[in-house]
Amino acid sequence: MGPYKSGISAGSSSSSSSSCAGKQSEIDGLLSGAGYKVRSSDLRQVAHRLERLETVMVNAPAEISQLASEAVHYNPSDLASWVDSMLSELNQPVPMSSDLSDLPYIDGFVAPALHQTVLSEGWTEQNTHEQQQLTVVTAVEEDSAIRLVHLLMTCAESVQRGELGLAGSLIEEMRGLLTSVNTECGIGKVAGYFIDALSRRLFSPLAVCAGSSLESDILYHHFYEACPYLKFAHFTANQAILEAFDGHDCVHVVDFSLMHGLQWPALIQALALRPGGPPLLRLTGIGPPSPDGRDSLREIGLRLAELARSVNVRFAFRGVAASRLDDVKPWMLQVGPREAVAVNSIMQLHRLLGSDSSRVSPIDSVLGWIRSLNPKIVTVVEQEANHNQPEFLDRFTEALYYYSTMFDSLEACSLQLEKSVAEMYMQREICNVVCCEGSARVERHEPLAKWRARLNGAGFRPLHLGSNAFKQASILLTLFSAAGYCVEENEGCLTLGWHSRPLIAASAWQAVSDTSAPFGRIKDNLL
Amino acid sequence: MVELMIGISRDLPEEDEIQVEKKKKKPLDLEQAMPLLLQAFEDGNIDTIINPRLLKVYDPKEATRMVTCATACVNHLAHRRPRMSQMVVPLNTWVLISYFKLAYNILRRPDGTFDRHLAEFQDRRVPANRTPVDGVFSFDVIVDRATSLLTRVYRSAPGGEAHPSIVEFERPLSTEIVPVIIFFHGGSFAHSSASSAIYDTLCRRLVGICKAVVVSVNYRRAPENRYPCAYDDGWAALNWVSSRPWLRSGRDSKVHVYLAGDSSGGNIAHHVALRAVESGIEILGNILLNPMFGGQERTESEKRLDGKYFVTIQDRDWYWRAFLPEGEDRDHSACNPFGPNGKSLEGLKFPKSLVVVAGFDLVQDWQLGYVEGLKRAGQEVKLIYLEQATIGFYLLPNNDHFYSVMEEINNFVSSNC
Repeated sequence: MGPYKSGISAGSSSSSSSSCAGKQSEIDGLLSGAGYKVRSSDLRQVAHRLERLETVMVNAPAEISQLASEAVHYNPSDLASWVDSMLSELNQPVPMSSDLSDLPYIDGFVAPALHQTVLSEGWTEQNTHEQQQLTVVTAVEEDSAIRLVHLLMTCAESVQRGELGLAGSLIEEMRGLLTSVNTECGIGKVAGYFIDALSRRLFSPLAVCAGSSLESDILYHHFYEACPYLKFAHFTANQAILEAFDGHDCVHVVDFSLMHGLQWPALIQALALRPGGPPLLRLTGIGPPSPDGRDSLREIGLRLAELARSVNVRFAFRGVAASRLDDVKPWMLQVGPREAVAVNSIMQLHRLLGSDSSRVSPIDSVLGWIRSLNPKIVTVVEQEANHNQPEFLDRFTEALYYYSTMFDSLEACSLQLEKSVAEMYMQREICNVVCCEGSARVERHEPLAKWRARLNGAGFRPLHLGSNAFKQASILLTLFSAAGYCVEENEGCLTLGWHSRPLIAASAWQAVSDTSAPFGRIKDNLL
Repeated sequence: MVELMIGISRDLPEEDEIQVEKKKKKPLDLEQAMPLLLQAFEDGNIDTIINPRLLKVYDPKEATRMVTCATACVNHLAHRRPRMSQMVVPLNTWVLISYFKLAYNILRRPDGTFDRHLAEFQDRRVPANRTPVDGVFSFDVIVDRATSLLTRVYRSAPGGEAHPSIVEFERPLSTEIVPVIIFFHGGSFAHSSASSAIYDTLCRRLVGICKAVVVSVNYRRAPENRYPCAYDDGWAALNWVSSRPWLRSGRDSKVHVYLAGDSSGGNIAHHVALRAVESGIEILGNILLNPMFGGQERTESEKRLDGKYFVTIQDRDWYWRAFLPEGEDRDHSACNPFGPNGKSLEGLKFPKSLVVVAGFDLVQDWQLGYVEGLKRAGQEVKLIYLEQATIGFYLLPNNDHFYSVMEEINNFVSSNC
């Protein structure tokens, strides 16, 4: 090990060069607790390269600022890649392993191996067990507010157990308590919605939570204006798509939910300004069929075409009307053979997680045909929440916490009308999570860790979102409102949250070309 | 470093060492020493190369270590000659702290601005976790909406229950005294946060070892927020903690508050304690780990250790310029509390202090000066000087200093029971 001091071995921090391969590939447990993934067997090499990097930095201090302003950094957890990319940026050859002449390790100091404290992989998963999770909201001053939350939990539990009489009386009690709690903000406001949702579940379960598609449009638009979540989703995805399209002359974006096409003007403009000129852009927008005979997809397409024309981007639009994504067949998208394809899914994939035993699981079938398109990039944005657990109480608890935080973040919005309507948008989601079951329950949010596993298993591998996307997101956020929103990097993905709680996660993927390697390795990045 | 070998002699001592005469043994030069050293490693027998005059009175482990070091030092590939810092910390600690050093170099701009976006991107964070891990759970609380001041509260799961309910979170602590440690993370006023993985880990350990509640403060950082923002946030957190009914414990049913911090956090702990003293809020003790202090003068330790163990005078200067009000120098009382602009603590009911100083920390003269300042003012202070420790020794639990310091902290906060 020399010259390093022998550490007290906790996990794999000191291994002799003759140990077996299994131990060699272990991640150093202590560094992992600090948030860094380095294989024990790589530690020495990484140390060597850090030494080299330091020498270079000392000799060329002017270059350091270049590292900050121009270099794009990826996946900071991976120290080995970081130091290699820094050395490359500074045009230093990355030292080869033959340069190392390791001295044999003298095992003079191995203290008894200590209990390796495995710290929670907090950033990936908070709720892997299907057990009672409870919520804490912001500094709760009043006893009634705490009591209200306690009652909500008890009520949800009795609903799960089928004790409907008890549940009903608890609802009465809670409604009473609401009068002594401030329902204008904080727990009081969100509790009211949850009490309503529980009540609806008990007494009018067949009532549908969703309104007309016109209503949905209005709610969506106000939600878009009132808080940064959708904007974050759009510009993060656009940045990744722009990079993926680099060097391609024919590009095709497949948007899983066109809505008002709010995401695309920015991409069209960015492509227009691309050095070397814009590509031919095709956009295929998927959306529900219009009820009243209008072709709303086509209308949006026309508006986007006009914009494209005004900035000299050759553009073609196609609308695909489908009420469910798994009704879409790849041939409907008419993907050309030489096109670079980007598939864009903003909060759509979770809707496919309801299982209907008579069909092939919808999510698998959709992921399958996405892969068959061989896309250059698949951008996925999803709510960072665990609202699809089998036990009702677990979902309820998670949702209480999640939407409390969402509502809290809305407080920061100064546009009163947008804020009120945005609350209705969220109230619809709450209703769906709490009241609905089976195919009616479409808000089946799952956390990033689960999506990673799912996408890896379906033959995709991650493309890392880098520091430039992070920086852009942070800057754009400062244009809105409050301190309180925060962007975080999470192993190549970006999340937007409110006060350290991530609420929405953006990631990018590419199909693995070889079907024999289903599990993509996070280390690779191509951008 | 070959000197450590105390002269590697050519002849392998086969006869009784005491009979060997000095004249017959001529110290080998480097070229000759190498094969012997390598052979000794392979044989696992260092006796053959340790100077017989030591008469086997050496500790074999210590000697082995010195041989390892010496060999590394005489390695012919000059650029592989190890840094001093590598000799005193385990490999993974060296990698971690060196990474921070280099990554932070990139974030500090010469004009005094800071690349906050890149810093936030690189900071490894963990969310609060209501599910107990190793018996400790955590949750975040907004203490002051106006400044978005957040604290992360760490507690042990009550009665060892797996799933504390919300009512449990805010249940008063027991009739036994439970210390509440308000913790200020380090980062030289500019880096890290309460949710940084390294500090989340440290706080969890403190809960486990001291049977305490830890409240980690996410104070505003420099250079965007200069003095006195960090102190204001610390003060707000202290007021919040002191007024929580559910943090009370003991027969006297009050909140038993300690302030703690490392690096800039230690500095903040001192200044918050100062404010508390002047306002009558009781603090039972201050725990300062490698606290960040300084002054205009260049002390002997700064000159001697500049650049040797991860830290340079230049980077210290940058962080002070970023934190102190513009135009102020390092003799400002925030930086130099016992300097020309400091105020005397004599006669004040300042809390007892536990100050940990690392022997390879270049600002140790300032830290030792702080301890002296407290003593001169008649305040109770215990100094723990760790000769062989560098900065950040407490970030990974892979060295003796870590454990001995945790034990000292535990004794410090339990001694009031």
